[in-house]
Amino acid sequence: MFCCVVRDPSSPVVPGALEAVARACSPRVERQGDAGIAFDATGLARVIGPPPEIVREVGRVAAEQGLIVRVAIAGSITTAWLLAHARLGVTIVAAGGEAAALAPLPLGWLGALVDQAEGHRPKAEDLAGGRQAGSGVQGARRITRARNYRIAPGPAADSEVVPDALNLVPVSSSLRPSAFGLCPDLQDALAIFARWGLRTLGDLAGLRRADLHARLGPLGVRLHQAASGEDTAPLVPLEEPRRFVNRLDLEWPIEGLEPLSFVLARQCDVLSSALTRADRGAVGVTTRLRLVTRTEHVRTLQLPSPIRDPRTLRTLVLLDLESHPPPAAIDVVELELGVVPGLIVQGALLTRALPSPDDLATLTSRLCALMGDTRVGAPALVDSHDERRSTVEKFTGQGAMQQTEAKKLQASTPKPQASSHTPQSPRPDFVPCLRRYRIPLAVMVDVERGRPVSVRSTARGIPSGDIVNVAGPWRTSGDWWAAGGQPWDRDEWDIELVSGGCYRLVRDRATGRWEIEGEMD
Amino acid sequence: MKSAAINRLESLLQASKLDRTLARTDEPWPVVSTGVPKLDTALGGGWRVGEISELTGARSSGRTTLLMATLAAATARGEIVALVDALDRFDPGVAAAAGVDLDRVLWVRGATLTVERARPAMVEQSVLRAVRAFDLIIRAGGFGVVALDLAGVSARVVQLLPFTTWMRLAHANEGRQTVGVIVGDIAVGRSARGVSVHLRASTQWIGSSPQSRRFNGFNWVSDVLLRRS
Repeated sequence: MFCCVVRDPSSPVVPGALEAVARACSPRVERQGDAGIAFDATGLARVIGPPPEIVREVGRVAAEQGLIVRVAIAGSITTAWLLAHARLGVTIVAAGGEAAALAPLPLGWLGALVDQAEGHRPKAEDLAGGRQAGSGVQGARRITRARNYRIAPGPAADSEVVPDALNLVPVSSSLRPSAFGLCPDLQDALAIFARWGLRTLGDLAGLRRADLHARLGPLGVRLHQAASGEDTAPLVPLEEPRRFVNRLDLEWPIEGLEPLSFVLARQCDVLSSALTRADRGAVGVTTRLRLVTRTEHVRTLQLPSPIRDPRTLRTLVLLDLESHPPPAAIDVVELELGVVPGLIVQGALLTRALPSPDDLATLTSRLCALMGDTRVGAPALVDSHDERRSTVEKFTGQGAMQQTEAKKLQASTPKPQASSHTPQSPRPDFVPCLRRYRIPLAVMVDVERGRPVSVRSTARGIPSGDIVNVAGPWRTSGDWWAAGGQPWDRDEWDIELVSGGCYRLVRDRATGRWEIEGEMD
Repeated sequence: MKSAAINRLESLLQASKLDRTLARTDEPWPVVSTGVPKLDTALGGGWRVGEISELTGARSSGRTTLLMATLAAATARGEIVALVDALDRFDPGVAAAAGVDLDRVLWVRGATLTVERARPAMVEQSVLRAVRAFDLIIRAGGFGVVALDLAGVSARVVQLLPFTTWMRLAHANEGRQTVGVIVGDIAVGRSARGVSVHLRASTQWIGSSPQSRRFNGFNWVSDVLLRRS
């Protein structure tokens, strides 16, 4: 006994909803595209009840998911699939009555099986869309009455649009005949059937299979099997997406991270074994700690690369909890991993080995725990005229590896010879570097003829003295055009003091305030 | 021809992982370029791999410029580098202008504080954290150059660290393909092998008129203070 559930074209598309409906009833589920699903209903009588109860349960779950569906239950997948597409609402076929149930259907519905023959069944939208895309009287027929239809028992075939025997509309437009070599043959076969005077599936099923094989070959046999309601392939259950969760109810609440590390080690070992068996790597770890205060402390870690090593996982979780410790003792520890297929990395033989993503993730986590989350990463420039601005991005090392490959590729590409006429701009060997004071030092400056001549400060340790060399000013301003920005307008000087030391001296033109912004070193 | 006693002594030292004190002339020590050819010549090729070296000097002696040259050379070789910036004075824009590939730099920023005005305890805490971060990166391995920037930190604060700190750091880097560089005002890790380079520099100013006057860099004079192998 099989049940096919097809989303009505008027129903909203809810990703994963059809599968949820099927899985609510049976563990043996086979996906049939985005708009259809089939499940094995054998044995459900003891769990849910007879077929009408199963259908009612399907309708209830579908309503919860916000779906409008068509349901058919029959002894074969082919029968259930054809009836779910051909009839609105619910169709229940008793065991052994498959051929009789299919007999009145026009031959054009065999188009719904084209994809099935290739391992995919067509979508309900394809069928409806195909009708809409059709030409002439048949093309104008639409399943408009199916809109706003909710599942309800009862025959509806009489109110259904019936394709002609010759009008295999889904084949012509929706099912991409070029993609399935069967489709043109099927069209030809249906034309032959029409010449023979066959109109319904019952007419086709009434012929001898051997005669069909003699005239149409294997296609004739498959069409005869379909018209008789026989399956040509068994149901292939879809593997349920596996969750990698480990939950541990503690006998006694634990406080502090040291005892928690033993618990985490045990859980990570189990999860790591599961990952290895499933050939998966963790890219995210969600730690849920139920506390004695009946609250939940949840932390989510995004890992830069798939990780499977239990020690690395435990260390990362522990370091994260060190930075964000739970506020009370812990009752329950639950780890859930987000996984992706395992990553196979081929190392290069002749290039320097870079740290593995696992090691980098562990290192950056340790450093973040030590220095702070925002204090570790790769420096990055900001697209701004303000040269003081910079930011820190996540350091993964992946970019470095990719760039290494890109650079090697670039190096292997022959470069065009520079023309002798190309002007070569002289570039200094070493750019003098500025050690930038994030908090500039306020100083007093004596100015003569518009140029600073000495720097004074009352505080100890602040550079001060007469200026022996000065260059500038370089006037910069910006962000005055932005409404919410922080405009600046200032003059910059490079100075050398008589006491030694070169500095960047800055005067804010708005306030007249002098500051030392950094030292040249 | 070595005597049996010497051979036995060397094998004992090797078993105790103390064989680095043995003089070896047959194997050249691996080095990487500092990015400054003149200094490479003085150092016999560059910074020694697997050791912690020092780069010291007064303010505006060109320490940071030399460090950026080293980082630029390392990133140009395709290596990833790390910079532990104890006082948060690294400027990414300047580093990019110096040729450092920023995507390959792990920047560890210390506390943002004005060392001239901050309480000594805060500076000590920041330096301690920076040394720990330096240790973590060295032990993680895989980096071409790892630099600890302590420039601007007073000698008193640095000398508060246990004397064995530098020995432990040197031991952690032993046998790794990593160059450790400590930048500071004074030499602190002289006992921990490696090379100490003391920089003295005079500034270069070009242009005769006030309008054309420019700061053009440093004239370096380097002294290799200690080279123990």
